[in-house]
Amino acid sequence: MAELLLLMGGGVAAGAFGALLGLGGGVLIVPLLTLGFGLPLREAVGASLVCVIVTSSAAASVYLQRDVANLRLGMTLEMFTAIAALAGGLVAFMLPDRVLAVMFAALLLYVAVTMVRARDARDARDAAGASNDVGPGADEHPERLPAGTEPAGDGSLAASLSGPGYRVRNLGRGVVGSLLAGIVSALFGIGGGIVKVPVMNLIMGVPMRVATATSNLMIGVTASSGALIYLFRGGIDPYVAGPTAVGVFAGASLASRWADRIDLRVLRLLFVAVLIVTAAQMALRGLG
Amino acid sequence: MRAAGLERTVGLVLGIGAMVSVGLLGIGVIGMGAAQVGPLDRPFLPFDLGRLPADLAGLKPTGFLWLGLLAVILTPSIRVIASLLGFAAAGERRMVAVAAIVLAAICLSAAFGAGG
Repeated sequence: MAELLLLMGGGVAAGAFGALLGLGGGVLIVPLLTLGFGLPLREAVGASLVCVIVTSSAAASVYLQRDVANLRLGMTLEMFTAIAALAGGLVAFMLPDRVLAVMFAALLLYVAVTMVRARDARDARDAAGASNDVGPGADEHPERLPAGTEPAGDGSLAASLSGPGYRVRNLGRGVVGSLLAGIVSALFGIGGGIVKVPVMNLIMGVPMRVATATSNLMIGVTASSGALIYLFRGGIDPYVAGPTAVGVFAGASLASRWADRIDLRVLRLLFVAVLIVTAAQMALRGLG
Repeated sequence: MRAAGLERTVGLVLGIGAMVSVGLLGIGVIGMGAAQVGPLDRPFLPFDLGRLPADLAGLKPTGFLWLGLLAVILTPSIRVIASLLGFAAAGERRMVAVAAIVLAAICLSAAFGAGG
């Protein structure tokens, strides 16, 4: 019983942290299950994929009903994330646990560096007197159309995927980013938003808010494509995945109510420290 | 179906899917607590669709956990099917093809997974 409560509590913490910091929580769930509960890496990844789908479905539901997520763009890129997740899932069952652990450590370090750099960029904008800060990697796309303008309907695929006030560009590079996101998702049990959001925002010209919402929508299909491989190959333990997913869902739901009351700068620094320590432990697990 | 209406419908499908999944998983977790089953009890029985009805009929925690996990994993696919139907109703042939390819990719994953 104590183990069950601890597992759910860990899930609540991972879900809350993930939601407050705009991450799916997958980067925390895998280390929690492997380092905290001694599970094999592949089982941890399988459970993490389940958690990622639950939180993505709940969040994407809200984003779609508020007309923030771009359904057409998301589904077009999903073709590639889903196929890549299938490949990633198959590769994950071929790689030794130790190799996966070292690769996961590298991923954690990448996320930590990204978060520090996003913070620095935000501080620089604040110092320069920027008035409309909307978070890390904020709208840096030159093809923003005047407010209320619809993108030109020239019949091209990119034009048909554009939304109110912005025009989608660099679709080819978006496809490459989507393939990468799908592989990363299935290999490491994460949603892949750390790849998709910057690609959509910085390369494809999608506003940050829409990119985040659309990435959330895509995560469900990407993760379920990988999760099906884990499910049928015995990589999902219901006694672990069930309680963790319930905990993560509860944590993410609670966090959405606390978001306004918590100093995210302190939380972000704490999170970066946790990521670095966890990366070191995962690297030791892989190399030791 | 109008575009905005489609988005709302698809959003609703996802919301209901998430709630049903978490509800089923919640029942399974309560069952684990009642049956004194630890999450780290090894080895666990891998997924077996044929055993699911009997586990559910016997009110076993594993039955609800597996059904909940299936609901979690299939919710995005149901969302894709809902989108496909919506695009077809709106006459958006290109998006119908896109949705069909996404669905095919998911089916391929299931086939590769089940194929061992």
